[in-house]
Amino acid sequence: MKNKTTRFLLTSLIGVALLCVCVFGVFAVHMGNQSAVTINQVGTLYMSSMSQQISVHFESIIGIQMEQLRALVGTIPSDVIHSDKTLQQQLMAQAKARDFEYLGFYGSDGSFEMLYGSQLTVTDPKPFLDSLNKNQEKVAIGTNAQGQKVVLLGVPSPHPPTPEHDCAALVAGLPVTYISDNLSLEENSERAYSFIIRRDGSFVIRSNNAYRNNYFERVRVLYEDVNGITAEEYLEELNAAMVEGIDYSNEFTMGGERYHLYCTHLPYSEWFLLTFLPYGSMDSIVTGFSHEWSSLTILSGTIILTALLLVFYKYYGLTRKQLREVEEARQAAEAARKEAEHANRAKSEFLSNMSHDIRTPMNAIVGMTAIATANIDDTRQVQNCLKKIALSSKHLLGLINDVLDMSKIESGKMTLNMDQVSLREVTDGIVAICQPQVKAKRQQFDVFIHDISTENVVCDSVRLNQVLLNLLSNAIKFTPEGGEIHMALYEEPSPKGDDFVRIHIEVRDTGIGMSRDFQKHIFDSFAREDSARVHRTEGTGLGMAITKYIVVDAMGGTIDMDSKQGEGTQFSVTLDLEKAQVMEEDMVLPNWNMLVVDDDRQLCESTVAALASIGVSAEWTLDGENAVAMVVKRHQRGDDYQIILLDWKLPGMDGIATAKQIRQKLGDKVPILLISAYDWGEIEAKAREAGITGFISKPLFKSTLFNSLRQFAGPLEAGEQKPEQKGPDLRGRRVLVAEDNELNWEIASELLSAEGLELAWAENGQTCVEMFEQSPVGYYEAILMDIRMPVMGGYEATQVIRTLERPDRDLPIIAMTADAFAEDVKRSLDCGMNAHIAKPIDVQEVLRLLDKYLK
Amino acid sequence: MTLKECYAALNGDYEEVMGRLRSERLVQKFVLKFLEDGSFELLCRSMEAGDLSEAFRAAHTIKGVCANMAFSALLDSSSQLTERLRGGDGGAQTQELFERVKADYARTAQAIQAFREEAGG
Repeated sequence: MKNKTTRFLLTSLIGVALLCVCVFGVFAVHMGNQSAVTINQVGTLYMSSMSQQISVHFESIIGIQMEQLRALVGTIPSDVIHSDKTLQQQLMAQAKARDFEYLGFYGSDGSFEMLYGSQLTVTDPKPFLDSLNKNQEKVAIGTNAQGQKVVLLGVPSPHPPTPEHDCAALVAGLPVTYISDNLSLEENSERAYSFIIRRDGSFVIRSNNAYRNNYFERVRVLYEDVNGITAEEYLEELNAAMVEGIDYSNEFTMGGERYHLYCTHLPYSEWFLLTFLPYGSMDSIVTGFSHEWSSLTILSGTIILTALLLVFYKYYGLTRKQLREVEEARQAAEAARKEAEHANRAKSEFLSNMSHDIRTPMNAIVGMTAIATANIDDTRQVQNCLKKIALSSKHLLGLINDVLDMSKIESGKMTLNMDQVSLREVTDGIVAICQPQVKAKRQQFDVFIHDISTENVVCDSVRLNQVLLNLLSNAIKFTPEGGEIHMALYEEPSPKGDDFVRIHIEVRDTGIGMSRDFQKHIFDSFAREDSARVHRTEGTGLGMAITKYIVVDAMGGTIDMDSKQGEGTQFSVTLDLEKAQVMEEDMVLPNWNMLVVDDDRQLCESTVAALASIGVSAEWTLDGENAVAMVVKRHQRGDDYQIILLDWKLPGMDGIATAKQIRQKLGDKVPILLISAYDWGEIEAKAREAGITGFISKPLFKSTLFNSLRQFAGPLEAGEQKPEQKGPDLRGRRVLVAEDNELNWEIASELLSAEGLELAWAENGQTCVEMFEQSPVGYYEAILMDIRMPVMGGYEATQVIRTLERPDRDLPIIAMTADAFAEDVKRSLDCGMNAHIAKPIDVQEVLRLLDKYLK
Repeated sequence: MTLKECYAALNGDYEEVMGRLRSERLVQKFVLKFLEDGSFELLCRSMEAGDLSEAFRAAHTIKGVCANMAFSALLDSSSQLTERLRGGDGGAQTQELFERVKADYARTAQAIQAFREEAGG
């Protein structure tokens, strides 16, 4: 379509331009011809009038002389013969007075009888004589004795001819210059010149460098072209005109120049006046005019062409623009179509992913339900099934929540439920939720709080939680075992004003990172990196889209990402949150001296600052060795630290070892709190053994510090922190296992250690008894006892233990044997055992029983 | 040979042991250790020497280990033998059961050997 229009436009443009050139060209040529014709006409007119003028002039100057001569003739009395001396004297005097240079009588036979002046000869006597004889006045040319040309005027005399006096006329002579001077035949200002010739072409008067005797000869030699005819043809035409006695006009070229000629008969004579005018002067005027005309024509043509071009150009541009607009609209439509297709495809993919993702936990739920129904009497089995069902349901709920959130976002119905939120509580909550996952993957998890002074802000806690959880669970999910996950919170003044605070949240991991391509789509709905590495990872692919919506669109914050494949990912969230209006609790502690030991300088500094703000002066150091040295130095000065905060993970000597050393040097007086981001359950026993007083969990908000330290403000017995008990938690419990078979011991040890129990192995009953006897009171909290053992069996061993003189001799003893008959169970119980478990070992059953008897 | 195939060869219950120990790594570790367990030698020695009470204890241990490892075939024969020996019966039936235990043990040991050669390399 575009080409068609363009071609049409170009064709018509060229057509119109050609038409223009043609019309103006024809016009110009026509005008050129017209001007040539005009020049001809003007030339002819001009020449004829000039010739007339010359001819009239000739007539008048000849006429004057004729008149003089006539008057002279008039004085001759008719009765006096011309030979009369008196008469002759008289005539001579009068003629001289009239400036005639020659005077004589002309006989009818053509003989001259001179009165004065030298003897003259008529050059062409015949017509002269004929005319005079016919009583007509005539002018002719003659020559004097010296051969000079003389103009002869003849007036017939009144005397009848006598035999003696044959006088036909009185002839006067004038120098030929008289005529040529008076007629100005020579070149004048207009470069025009004239010849006077006879009918045979011989010159009467020559001018303009004509040296030949005959004009015709001149024509034949010099004339190059006579208006399209040859010189001969021209001469014929000229002759014919001269015979007929009419004027003749023509043009010719001589010496490269164009001339106009005009021929007319002169009165009183057989002569013809030929006048020549070079085209030059006139031509220049007319040609100038013609040139001007041509220029004007070309100019107007050009103007019209230009105007046309302009119009075409504009029109062309307009058409192009329209075409472009149409093309753009088409492309936009195409893009929209593709986008819609893409969105549609993404949605379909999402649906198929989702149906798969939903099916997986659904299958588990359905399957587990069926198993539970089939084993309705087997409590253990049912419990197991229910646990799995609960897990799958939770997962399913997560998926559905994501989808609901997304649909809320897409329909614009997601609103924030603003409320006062404690950043500390939110962070604590998040850390608690993430810990099991982090622990399961043996990842290193650190939380850093830098100088958060405003703990209470106005925000939607649920959504804030969701954002943090999303970022963290992604970090955990995509970081391999043993990787690092790092979360940091810090605060700065908000550009929104004093009522606001800007909170930065950073979540960094050393995980698999994201491909550059995927980074572009990370915040798109339904995005999941589809590669072998993350194929197993479940989820809706909505998490980041929801996160971005909450942070950016709902809360007006920003979210940035920096990721490198194979190296890790960092997300930075910035939120401007309104400070909560309520006054924060007045947190003041006694003016203690404290020591903070952590390998992170920033954490030390911000913790010391936070402590200072609640009235505690604190010092800090980065490692355990230094800490011990500082504590000892203080101790020697008698100025002990009141409380020591010790990080668990320290380079070199760790927190527990450091605590041990401090205890060795200082005794039990100073409370030592272990800082840990982890659930401290698994290290609690060891820590307590090393002399740790209590635990304080990261992140260390001001309020965290205050709440943890407050207990030490009163009497120390105010109580120390207890870890949260959740369900049958037997971590750290010490159990003695009597088992003769190494393989069985290893199995038991492997399974029960995984649950956090601390096991000790006795190879037979005897050893078991000895180990129990040698342990501190309350050290072992239970015994798992095999029955059939060499040296001393389980029954005897139990009986011995029960009779020992120890306060803890009644500790739970559980039989664990391949004997599963009722009588075996009975015998076990009879021997003083608390319970009986049949091999193979069922961990859940063991835990259940231990939990039951340890309470 | 996979662990599962090994279990099939020695007539054991793979699902059961996986259900209890949860980790293939653990099961493999213990299966390989089974060969080092001296209970069977003890049983053989005791039976030859006619020490029925020691034989009982050895059979009992084998029974316990097999229960833990879910070696069903050997568990079955060793359990029966254990019950025979518990009563101090050294008769023909006991000898017959002992032969069965030996056969089952041999098959079990053979399967584990084969597995070890492939897996352990």
